Amino acid sequence: MTFTQQKEDKEIEEALVKDFQAGNLDAYDKIAELYQQKIYALSFNLMRNQMDAQDVTQEVLLILFRKIHTFQGKSAFSSWVYRITLNACYMRMRSKKKEPNISIDELLPSFSGAGFQQEKIRDWSKSTESSLFTNETREVIKKAVDLLPEKEKVVFLLRDVEELSTEKVSGILDLTVPAVKSRLHRARLFLRKKLSGYFEEYGSPKGKI
Amino acid sequence: MICCKECIDLLHDYLEGSLAQETRDALDEHFRECPPCIAFLNTYKSTSRLCRETLHQIEIPDEVRHTLQNFLKEHKIQQEGM
Repeated sequence: MTFTQQKEDKEIEEALVKDFQAGNLDAYDKIAELYQQKIYALSFNLMRNQMDAQDVTQEVLLILFRKIHTFQGKSAFSSWVYRITLNACYMRMRSKKKEPNISIDELLPSFSGAGFQQEKIRDWSKSTESSLFTNETREVIKKAVDLLPEKEKVVFLLRDVEELSTEKVSGILDLTVPAVKSRLHRARLFLRKKLSGYFEEYGSPKGKI
Repeated sequence: MICCKECIDLLHDYLEGSLAQETRDALDEHFRECPPCIAFLNTYKSTSRLCRETLHQIEIPDEVRHTLQNFLKEHKIQQEGM
């Protein structure tokens, strides 16, 4: 998307929000149509459950409807929607029994005392071209993301999957910019290690896992 | 020369282009002489790309879309009736 188009989309969105705040229900329909996919995808990626993602999407659409008058435009409207979505997901996740988080540190790279890599690193990046990209691969990737601890997972989803800027994620999560960067980096290291286990086997003569 | 640990600690900022020129040059020099770190860099970049491509494919299933449409329709009727 070009910068000009982004700017135009932002202006259209701002106009819709103003219209809806003035009582125009058609503007709400358009806002719901624009956002329901984003709300659903983020909820689903975070909770990995269709029913929960559907419930959260409904809940968020209802909150947008009821609370639109409280939106003052201090942050972007999209940031406000993402924040409401995450709160709704957290409420739902807290009410369910959680699997204990595995320690992320165990999956970070190990170094010698002098700071040099101890592991043998294979470059599997070229074996991930689309021809090898199967449903099985996608499942492995989804499971790896699911294993991320919650704090790192939400930053990873907003930053690397939704492709929001570091500053925007920092605003949505009320975290400092260095904290967002650090969590994102840890998430990527964790996922890289998880995927390495799979792709190193995948690309080897032994074949798939 | 910087060590592998420093190099990997700086990967996020390296890819974002937010490192000072001097540090960036030091990393480039390290990469030229350290194939394992090049492999690490390539797989680190691929990780983000693969996850994005996979998770971006989440679409609202048709039955959920219908439920949402009905929900919005009912809700709108309620509001208009108020």
